[in-house]
Amino acid sequence: MEHPIIFLNLLFEKLGLPIVHDFTHAHTFLEKILLPYVTYTWLIMISLVILVKLTVRRIELVPRGGQNVFEVVISAIEEFMVGVTGEEGRYLFPLIGTLAFFILISNYMGMIPGFFGPTANVNTTAACAIIVVVYTHVIGVKFHGLKYIKHFMGPIWWLSPLIFVVEVIGHIARILSLSIRLFGNIFGEELVLAILMVLAGLYLAPLPIMFLGLFTGGVQAFIFVLLSSMYFAGALEHAH
Amino acid sequence: MKEDTRKALKLAGLASTLGLTIVIATFIGLALGLWLDRVFDTSPWLTVIFLILGIIAGFRNFYRFMSKRAKE
Repeated sequence: MEHPIIFLNLLFEKLGLPIVHDFTHAHTFLEKILLPYVTYTWLIMISLVILVKLTVRRIELVPRGGQNVFEVVISAIEEFMVGVTGEEGRYLFPLIGTLAFFILISNYMGMIPGFFGPTANVNTTAACAIIVVVYTHVIGVKFHGLKYIKHFMGPIWWLSPLIFVVEVIGHIARILSLSIRLFGNIFGEELVLAILMVLAGLYLAPLPIMFLGLFTGGVQAFIFVLLSSMYFAGALEHAH
Repeated sequence: MKEDTRKALKLAGLASTLGLTIVIATFIGLALGLWLDRVFDTSPWLTVIFLILGIIAGFRNFYRFMSKRAKE
C-alpha cells in the first residue's frame, strides 16, 4: 500500500534524518523516536503549551477573546469532573484536563490531511491508560492509607483471596479497555478513510466518514475523561 | 447543557463500555491461566480456574454498574 504523505516526515527527510515509514522497520533509537506518532505527540504538546502561554500572557478580570474560550471550556470540564468525583476530587483536575485536551486534539489532528493522530497508535493510548490506572491506586493509598487494601477484599472475609484475584483481573481489564477502545475507534476510522480513498477515488467520497470521525473523536475523548474520573471516584470512596 | 441531557450522555457513555469490559476481563483471565500453566506445568487446571475467575471479574463489573444505577 502507498504511504500517506506526512508533513513532519517530509521535513525531517529534507533535513537528512533517517525516516522509516513503518514501525516494523525501525531498528535504531533515532529511527524509533522519529516515527510519526512520536513526532506528532511532540507537535501537539508544543502547540498546546504555546497556545496556552499566548492566552494567559495577559489575564484580565473581564475576559476577552481566547481567555474567554479557555475559561468556558476548562470550567465546563472541571464542573463535569467534580460532578462525578465529588468535591474532594477537585485537585485531580489538572490531570483530567490535560488528558481531555491532548486526546481531543490528537483525535482531530488525524483528520487533517498531512497530519497524523497519535491516538491511532496503541502505544499512545496505552500510555494514557496506564497513567490513569496507576494514579487511581496512588490517590487511593494517599486517601485511605493502608485501609485501601479493603477495596480489594470484598465484604466476606473467607472469600477475600478469590475476590482479590478477581479485582486484580478487573483492574488490568481497565487498562486494556481504556486503551483499546480509544485506539480502535481512531485507528478504525483512519483505516476506513484509507480504504475509501483507494476504492472510491480521491475526491469527496471520504467526506461522510470524516464527518463521522469528528463525532467519534469527540465522543471518545469524552468517554475517556468520564471513565477516568469514575475510576478516581471509585478510589476515593469508602470500601463497601 | 441541561441536567437531564448530561445524565443521559453520561449513562450512554458508561453503557457503551460495558460489553468491552466483560470480553477483555474474560480474555485476561484466560491469558493469565495459560501463562501460569506454562510456568508451573499444571496444564490444564490453572487455565480453567483463571478463565472462570476472569468471567466472574467481568460480570462483577457489570453487576456493580447495575447496582449503582439501581441505587440512583
